[in-house]
Amino acid sequence: MDKGNIHIVIPVYNHGEKLGEVVQSLTSEGYKNIILVNDGSENAQFPACLPPGITYIEHRVNLGQGAALQTGFTQALKDGAGIIVSFDADGQHVASDLEILISPLITGEADVTLGSRFLAAYQNPMPPVKIILLKTARLINYLFTGMMLSDAHNGLRAMNKQAVEKIRITENRMAHATEILFEIKKYGLVVKEVPVKVRYTDYSRSHGQSPWNSIKIFFDILFYKLFA
Amino acid sequence: MTGIQLLLIFGVSLLGIYYVIRLKKTVVDLMLMMLLILTAIGFILWPELTNKIANGLGVGRGADLVYYVCILLFSFALLKLYSRMRRLEQEFTKLVREDALKKVEKH
Repeated sequence: MDKGNIHIVIPVYNHGEKLGEVVQSLTSEGYKNIILVNDGSENAQFPACLPPGITYIEHRVNLGQGAALQTGFTQALKDGAGIIVSFDADGQHVASDLEILISPLITGEADVTLGSRFLAAYQNPMPPVKIILLKTARLINYLFTGMMLSDAHNGLRAMNKQAVEKIRITENRMAHATEILFEIKKYGLVVKEVPVKVRYTDYSRSHGQSPWNSIKIFFDILFYKLFA
Repeated sequence: MTGIQLLLIFGVSLLGIYYVIRLKKTVVDLMLMMLLILTAIGFILWPELTNKIANGLGVGRGADLVYYVCILLFSFALLKLYSRMRRLEQEFTKLVREDALKKVEKH
């Protein structure tokens, strides 16, 4: 697989502790085009710890993960990316999963692939509250988009250039995950879910989303439907 | 005149004065605002008027009618504000993004 035209966008806000490891794991797998979008973090010491070859973008103020992704996508297109991947900064995704995530895009089987933690043969132990939340989110996604996906909010996605050129994320915060689905539907893009691993460490748990957040996401989606 | 009438007239006048001082726009806007305030004061001074209108619309009491209309108006104002906020946020995002993309660092 030619990894030269694969660009990986990592949005990061404040919690950069795992960032070094994440970037390291990606470069050691042969992914050289990494775009780091610092979404207005208060501790801006990231550039110092970064290996060469990385593209670093900084939002002057915090806008949200959706906005950071869109900024990264725009830059990736500018840099001539053929395939664009979104990857979380907290170390929950595994770099070796990228190969199977990307291959349907290379064969032309799909325009967009979404990582799913529920399709994998090996199920990660997940906190029960999280399971209930994700199942509910899945149902809400289905009601709003008509797409029944096995995983609702997985940060690991890959898209081909044509898809990224069409998709516009205007939901600055977490509702962007559902907005991407709206866009996929709107442009008739072909989607495939791919089993990926998700690591639940104490670290990712402590920086994950709270149940309160999912209520906020729901209202964001609702208002998006009303106004966008 | 009762205490509540005084209080309401005072409040409505304050709103009007604030509007004129802080948000003054065109003459039409000011006249519209004056009309609204005078109507409000009219209804405060002669509450039976709202009763008559309410009865005509099939609502028991004038106060209930005012309450229903208020809910409608507030919902409308809230939606207007929300959509404006969204638009502002999008413009803000665009600015921040453009600024960020101008200063991309290649390590």
